Amino acid sequence: MLWLTIIFPLLGFVLLGLFGRRIREPVAGILASALVLGSFLVVAYLYLQGGAEVWIEDWLPGINFSLLLDPLAAYMSLIVTGIGFLIHVYSIGYMKGDPGFTRFFGYLNFFIAMMLILVLAGNYAVMFIGWEGVGLASFLLIGFWYQDLKNTDSARKAFIVNRIGDLGFLLGMALIYSLYGTLEIAELRAVIGAAGALPAALGIGAMLLFVGAIGKSAQVPLMVWLPDAMAGPTPVSALIHAATMVTAGVYLVARSSFIFSLFPWVSYTVAVIGLITALYGALSAFGQNDIKRVVAYSTISQLGYMFLAVGVGAYWIALFHVLTHAFFKALLFMTSGSVIHALGGEQDLNQMGGLRKLMPQTHIQALIGVLALGGFPLLSGFWSKDQIIAATLTYPFGGEIFYGLAIFTALLTAIYAMRWYVLVFLGTYRGKAHPHEAPAVMTVPNWILAIGAVFAGFLAPEPWGNFLEGFFGSTLASLEVAHLEMNNELLLIAVSALVALLGLWLGYWFFSRPQLPGWYQRFAAVSAQAFYADTLYQSWFVIPAKAWSIALSAFDRGVDFFYRGLAGAVAGLGRGLAWFQSGYARGYATWMFLGLFVLLLVGVWGFN
Amino acid sequence: MNLYLITSALIFAIGVYGILTRRQAIMVFLSVELLLNAANLALVGISSTLADASAQAVAFMVIAIAAAEVAVGLGIIVAVFRLKDTASVDAAHELKG
Repeated sequence: MLWLTIIFPLLGFVLLGLFGRRIREPVAGILASALVLGSFLVVAYLYLQGGAEVWIEDWLPGINFSLLLDPLAAYMSLIVTGIGFLIHVYSIGYMKGDPGFTRFFGYLNFFIAMMLILVLAGNYAVMFIGWEGVGLASFLLIGFWYQDLKNTDSARKAFIVNRIGDLGFLLGMALIYSLYGTLEIAELRAVIGAAGALPAALGIGAMLLFVGAIGKSAQVPLMVWLPDAMAGPTPVSALIHAATMVTAGVYLVARSSFIFSLFPWVSYTVAVIGLITALYGALSAFGQNDIKRVVAYSTISQLGYMFLAVGVGAYWIALFHVLTHAFFKALLFMTSGSVIHALGGEQDLNQMGGLRKLMPQTHIQALIGVLALGGFPLLSGFWSKDQIIAATLTYPFGGEIFYGLAIFTALLTAIYAMRWYVLVFLGTYRGKAHPHEAPAVMTVPNWILAIGAVFAGFLAPEPWGNFLEGFFGSTLASLEVAHLEMNNELLLIAVSALVALLGLWLGYWFFSRPQLPGWYQRFAAVSAQAFYADTLYQSWFVIPAKAWSIALSAFDRGVDFFYRGLAGAVAGLGRGLAWFQSGYARGYATWMFLGLFVLLLVGVWGFN
Repeated sequence: MNLYLITSALIFAIGVYGILTRRQAIMVFLSVELLLNAANLALVGISSTLADASAQAVAFMVIAIAAAEVAVGLGIIVAVFRLKDTASVDAAHELKG
């Protein structure tokens, strides 16, 4: 039965892939969406039945094929299929008239199938299949409009940068297998939980797994691929590069929390990387002038928050933020998509403005998304982000410095979110196209996401209730948590709320000004280059690697030249000798008698 | 004995000349027969001079093989003639390298 969840979207991929030419435009989208919805319903039904399992003993020598639907997997699967379904429906409108319509939905279904394998895997090897599968889907969808060289470059960049992380994952798996002889997560959990002394190598294994997570979730230093991944169609950005795939790294760490929680140094590293990424993403978002790149850097920043949470040990809070972020970030991307769609492909913020009146529904949706991202009190982003920030003080691997930087980043988040909103929707319209409101097939999914972005936070509005932590139960490692007094907790929430409101107001006030001060423009120029990360990688890694490859290919060509010369000489010899083969019998006879004559001469005089 | 050998060499030379200059396959064929019989003459001459019968045995062998060669050679000539409508040896040069 659990098979069905994966087989539904996989079936869609096969059908659309094989019979794509015969399936007319809306049918492909409806079929794909329906299959994802089916997958969603199966997961929901199975979870309510109390979970499910698939087990194939010794699928590969020493490795079982196991899928497991526990609360953590069910939570992620429901996000993947639920948000995925909404984005599928939205895409029917967004991709209307595209020549690759069926191909697009085929890839999307493939992605959903692979993502489900990733989250349902009960075994690191099986998880790795899904891990690579979603990477492939991401590659295919970033380069979806493959006629443009820039898009395929971005696709390759994403794929290659992810390879670095995947190598870490693979090495981590190998190390764990060599230590314990199994990759079955439940078995590892039991063995590691029972063991008294832990091998130090296990910490390195956890670190290597985290390297995989860094790649997949675009953390510093492997964050450069995510902004370029915006070359794909906008629903792809919403589904893969905001809501689901990039959170796979968070899921991996949460799933492996029974290892990570045992190694403080690994956990601190995770938290520091997360914090740096959060700050970096937020600062880089300011200088971007592409409507999607702002949201992309914001995604990097929010993923940084999630890693900060798993780093300090607040696993369930990270997953809480995965959910709320999936709602409001998918919403932000899809409203961006609606704007791009309405402006006929325009993505430059300087060509927008004043869309509040022209696209009233999209405007409200985007406003909800921005406020949720900025942490406006009582919206979903407020609850999850506030708890991440508070967790830096209460969970074991945090500290005051983490708290200070996290709350500063929250302020920045609110400001740049407001900048985006002001530039797109307020002021006067600066572009040339004639915007129109998006069709219902696009606005309805957005409204559902908007509802989620408003109310998803009430799953765990600490300290007034917490449904989630109990829901995950024993699937996550539990740590000793310092409990704050009610007054202090309220104080922290008040600080978060004030910071968010201050940031939103600052952003509104500052970016509504007609002329921005010089110091900001200088900062924006650096920020627009994302602090020269790409330039740095270009000169440190890309150019040397290219030079090395050119040298290797020159050597290769040298070897080729030698052997080609050799072959050419033999061929020339053959051509020369072919002259004797005149085809005339008398010619051959002549040579024969000449030879005989020579032999006779040698016979007569040669031996005397 | 020298007379035998000189005659034999002359006949052989005539045969070689015929093979190299004639275009008609029949004539070439005839020249080949001359070569064989020049060899036969030399063999028989040597046999009678040295009073050794083994050379005669070789001569008989050559005659027998020449008979077989006639059968094969004529067969080839007829086949070429049917294909090309001519018996010129230059007509068959498909095996040019």
